[in-house]
Amino acid sequence: MADTTVIETVDLHKSYGSVEALRGLNLQVPQGSICGFLGRNGAGKTTTIKILLGMARPSSGRVRVFGLAADTKESSVEIRRRTGFVSDEKSLYDFMTVAEMVRFTASFFPTWRADLQQRYLAKFDLPGERDVKDLSRGMRTKLALLLALCRSPELLILDEPTSGLDPAMAEEVLKALIAHSAGEGASIFFSSHQIADVDQIADHVAIIDRGRMVVAGGLDDVREGYRRVQCVFDGEAPPAALRSPGVVRVERRGRALSVLSNAGVDNVVSEAKAMGAVSVDVTSVTLKEIFLEIVTVED
Amino acid sequence: MLWYKFWLETRWRFIIGLVVLICSAGGSVFSYPLVVKLLPVASHIDLGNSRLAQEVAQAVELSRTFGGYIWMHWFQQNFIQLWTLFAILIGSGGLVTRESGGSGLFTLSLPVSRERMLVTRVLTGLAELLVLSFVPALLIPLLSPAIGQSYGVLDALVYATCVFVAGAVFFCGAILLSTEFPDLWRPLLFALGAAMFLGVWEQFTREGARFGVFHLMSAEVYFRGGSVPWIGLAASAMVSAALLYRALVNFERRDF
Repeated sequence: MADTTVIETVDLHKSYGSVEALRGLNLQVPQGSICGFLGRNGAGKTTTIKILLGMARPSSGRVRVFGLAADTKESSVEIRRRTGFVSDEKSLYDFMTVAEMVRFTASFFPTWRADLQQRYLAKFDLPGERDVKDLSRGMRTKLALLLALCRSPELLILDEPTSGLDPAMAEEVLKALIAHSAGEGASIFFSSHQIADVDQIADHVAIIDRGRMVVAGGLDDVREGYRRVQCVFDGEAPPAALRSPGVVRVERRGRALSVLSNAGVDNVVSEAKAMGAVSVDVTSVTLKEIFLEIVTVED
Repeated sequence: MLWYKFWLETRWRFIIGLVVLICSAGGSVFSYPLVVKLLPVASHIDLGNSRLAQEVAQAVELSRTFGGYIWMHWFQQNFIQLWTLFAILIGSGGLVTRESGGSGLFTLSLPVSRERMLVTRVLTGLAELLVLSFVPALLIPLLSPAIGQSYGVLDALVYATCVFVAGAVFFCGAILLSTEFPDLWRPLLFALGAAMFLGVWEQFTREGARFGVFHLMSAEVYFRGGSVPWIGLAASAMVSAALLYRALVNFERRDF
């Protein structure tokens, strides 16, 4: 594993009975990055996170966090010692108060940051005496985030951190993450199906579909790597059979062919012209377009 | 602090159990004067030679002494039945229940091995059961002078020990079932069903009456002969350990 990689999976497989949740997942998250882990519901995001934290065992393949094998008992404890985690459910102990929850969690982490605790309790307006069961979903998310941040994690793993939150609350959570990453230098790996969240805070992106990695890399590189080529023909567009390398998807609509390419567009443009296109336009694509095109192709 | 979480999770089951057992112990002591008054009447009840008649006769005979009455009425019946119920209630549930939902994931994200989690869960439960065994049992010698009777502290300690050591099988069984099933109710129902089956088996078979766990919990050997059933207690402790080992294996290999 490279020194600069905080998470690495190689050919990771996970099956639940006859259901294959992960089918050879290869993932690398650089140290110090904010990596958005995108995928549809059931794509394998949560399963991956559970394997990283030792909550589920891989069926085969290699999984390392901080260079430690996540599927062995001892390493897994060490990984969790250095990692903050917020689950999708944000369920904490309903039978504790906020203050008890904080005290309880702090007791497991010698590196617990009391200064951050005070700062986030005030910033998130969390009442210490209130029972966790009486907190709104937004407040629970904030408390879960506080519990993850104050343990001084080198890595934050967040499963759908903004799901179920209103836009204002989601914005507040994302800002807190960015500020923490900038201030403390922690790597952040967060799953989401909110592409806007990834666009807003991530510098790396990994898109998973049906248990396989389909796109991964720096967010800017990914955006730059994809282009849409819009070809217009005089009459009906020819059947969508472009042979140029890098063609991800071709959509035929009346006189137009829309081509998504991820390996340069020169060949596509030449081929389209050779097919008789009267107009060829190359445009950039958004992360949302890339995501939707790719997961649709997988269908 | 893990113990604190498990304590908070089970505290109401424990507190209710403690109150019920204390009331049961107090009720048994304070009802003895009434039992004494009814003894002459009960002695004249003619039920023929049926099994019921034999049991009534034995109950009347034992109730002629306070020690016999307390053993038969409380240590042999109410105490072990109620204690078993609360041991199963305290042992049921935990990390792998569906009800624990995301909070289970929070626990699993802590830098603690699953082995330590289970051991802490078990030790917290056993500490609660220790209190449920000894506090109500020691109330008997404490309350007895209030009705002009006396009861040996040592006897109470022996009975409480037998209940705790032998009855821990039910707690450990509930823990094991809780690692097998992802809900709260099946472990509870299966453990209660197993306890009831054992109770019936002991009631109606000679082997059950000799080797059964309730027989061991009641410490009848000690009551009748004065000797502590060490072999039975050791065997029971080994069964409990085996159940816990199996629970640990289940818990270690489980995916969440």
